[in-house]
Amino acid sequence: MTETMLKVENLAVDFSTPAGNLRAVDGVSLELAEGETYAIVGESGSGKSVFSRTLINLLAGNGKREGSIEIGGRDIDTLSKSEAKHFFGVDVAMVFQDPMTSLNPVKRIDAQLMEAMRYHLKVSKSEARERAIALLKQVHIPSPEQRMRQYPHELSGGMRQRVVIAMALACEPRLLIADEPTTALDVTVQKSILDLLDELRIERKMSMILITHDLGVARGRADRIGVMYAGRLMEVGKTDDLFADMRHPYTQALLQSIPNPAKRSHTRLQPIPGRPPNLLDPPQGCAFAARCRHAQPDCLNAKPVLEGTSGGSDDHRWACFHPVGTPDGDAALKANLEAGANAGGMSMKEIVGELV
Amino acid sequence: MAGSGTAHLRESDDVLVRVEHMVVEFPISGGTVHAVSDVSFDLVEGETLGIVGESGCGKSTTARAAIQLPKPTSGSVWFKGLDITKLSKEQMRQIRPEFQMIFQDPISSLNPRRTVTEIISDGLKVWGENDSWTLDTIDELMEAVGIDPRYGERKPHQFSGGQCQRISIARALVLDPKVIICDEPVSALDVSVQAQILNLLEDMKARYGVSLVFISHDLSVVKNISDRVMVMYMGKTCEVAGSDDLFEKPTHHYTRALMAAIPGADVVVEDQTLEGELPSAINPPAGCRFNSRCPAATDECRSIEPQIREVAPNHFVACHHPVLT
Repeated sequence: MTETMLKVENLAVDFSTPAGNLRAVDGVSLELAEGETYAIVGESGSGKSVFSRTLINLLAGNGKREGSIEIGGRDIDTLSKSEAKHFFGVDVAMVFQDPMTSLNPVKRIDAQLMEAMRYHLKVSKSEARERAIALLKQVHIPSPEQRMRQYPHELSGGMRQRVVIAMALACEPRLLIADEPTTALDVTVQKSILDLLDELRIERKMSMILITHDLGVARGRADRIGVMYAGRLMEVGKTDDLFADMRHPYTQALLQSIPNPAKRSHTRLQPIPGRPPNLLDPPQGCAFAARCRHAQPDCLNAKPVLEGTSGGSDDHRWACFHPVGTPDGDAALKANLEAGANAGGMSMKEIVGELV
Repeated sequence: MAGSGTAHLRESDDVLVRVEHMVVEFPISGGTVHAVSDVSFDLVEGETLGIVGESGCGKSTTARAAIQLPKPTSGSVWFKGLDITKLSKEQMRQIRPEFQMIFQDPISSLNPRRTVTEIISDGLKVWGENDSWTLDTIDELMEAVGIDPRYGERKPHQFSGGQCQRISIARALVLDPKVIICDEPVSALDVSVQAQILNLLEDMKARYGVSLVFISHDLSVVKNISDRVMVMYMGKTCEVAGSDDLFEKPTHHYTRALMAAIPGADVVVEDQTLEGELPSAINPPAGCRFNSRCPAATDECRSIEPQIREVAPNHFVACHHPVLT
């Protein structure tokens, strides 16, 4: 078994807002081995971006973190101020979603690439320049010497995202956090960027947290997946296990709402009715219960915890009282169908559409 | 690939819109942007035509120029026996209610200062009531698109992205149009909401008999909603075929590259990644415009532009070396 790169335990993030306390991340624990890719999948507002930013110590001023984060064996709370300065951005780096806004529009590419190396690694200007050119080559940017002197607006979206990746790699991080790195890009460019991240990860034995809303991207790229909803992990497991043996009704609903290119055209889609819960006033029970086709009265009263085949490399767990594919889950679905509504009062006709 | 021709146009009484040899060019300092170069397509009554391609391929410009927004540089657009490119401004205005649009960003495409009822009923106030809708039946329309009529006095910011897109759909339907152009209508939405909107569009199409031109960069979405799909690259047509047919037997190398890029899907094509960047639309490559990135390009492709031809029943491709299986 390889070394653990990232260990998150019981992470919770609260924001105090004028409207009250908002818990964006609620008790997330995960472990990531060296060289592994872990995808966090969720819809907007699920807390996946807050989670990723917390890992790199980029929490907004009104945010408060609980729980521990260990990166490469170091608990980040034990870092001194001066250590922290050269830890975030060096040992752990981040690629943001929008390559249009994550580069400074009035600075040339070379200045942006060299800045971090000069600051963190204290290398000379000429060495930083050499390393910057080498990095641009590594991210497959043609004629890097010329590109170095250009401004971001002179580059296409895909090129810019390559530059952003080069910047993140400049100080040779061991953990890379990619927050929706390809969402703003065309599918063909998306593929080349994801290929590039894979290649670099293997070459550098880097670990990667891939934040995405796209189950397809996660399926194609991640070793393991965590499905997030309302700040909590609903189901975690190895990618193949998760897709072969989906247990959480939310994971299942999410997958069924996506058009599958293998199905005939005009195949009726199954949307998830309703809306995610208001995190300022979170439900007492399972956050998904109101929209869930399996929901029973107990789901409304208590929050299920992640359980399943325990620990190790076969880790596949789900937080559900009545999971898919179990006699109990089947009975819950059947009971709801007969009653015409789930325990939260949502009509089953809306939930399962015309397929029943 | 990426060629011209009209072999794929259909001779049928059901053809609602027929666009022939449409060219859209934008003059800029130092040249001309060739946004759409000799594209032809048609739309049959009750049909959904999907247009796919990467950003900058001219898919939005093609659909917009077809409804004269802006007027194409050359070419003709036939609608109800009229070439609407030749109409006067007033004649065109009279015909406009037949064409409606739904845009990508659901929130910014609605006036933030007006109430939902105002937004939806405005068309009726300008054009008068029609056979399908009157000012008294707006509530019914709101219900049909899944907006509670009690919220009619609310303003767009009080709704979620998906609800705003429902309002946009109601606004498009109220004038009883023949054609609705949907320009990336679900790209800004979460997948669960995206499914709601796609289902709604299917229902509305069936219920009110409109034809859709559906523009998207997402092939899975386009496959799901379309009857026929046109793949575009740099202002040219690559391939036109029935939705299922295209996905089962993609013959154009560009279509195949697009399909290989669908994340996490089992597709029929070999794994491949498009190399290189999109060439400049000011100075597009000679011959087939895709030749600089095509794995099968030959000298012929670099000099002679391929013409659209039928390679299987109702399956058209503009390529010198299509993949035929």
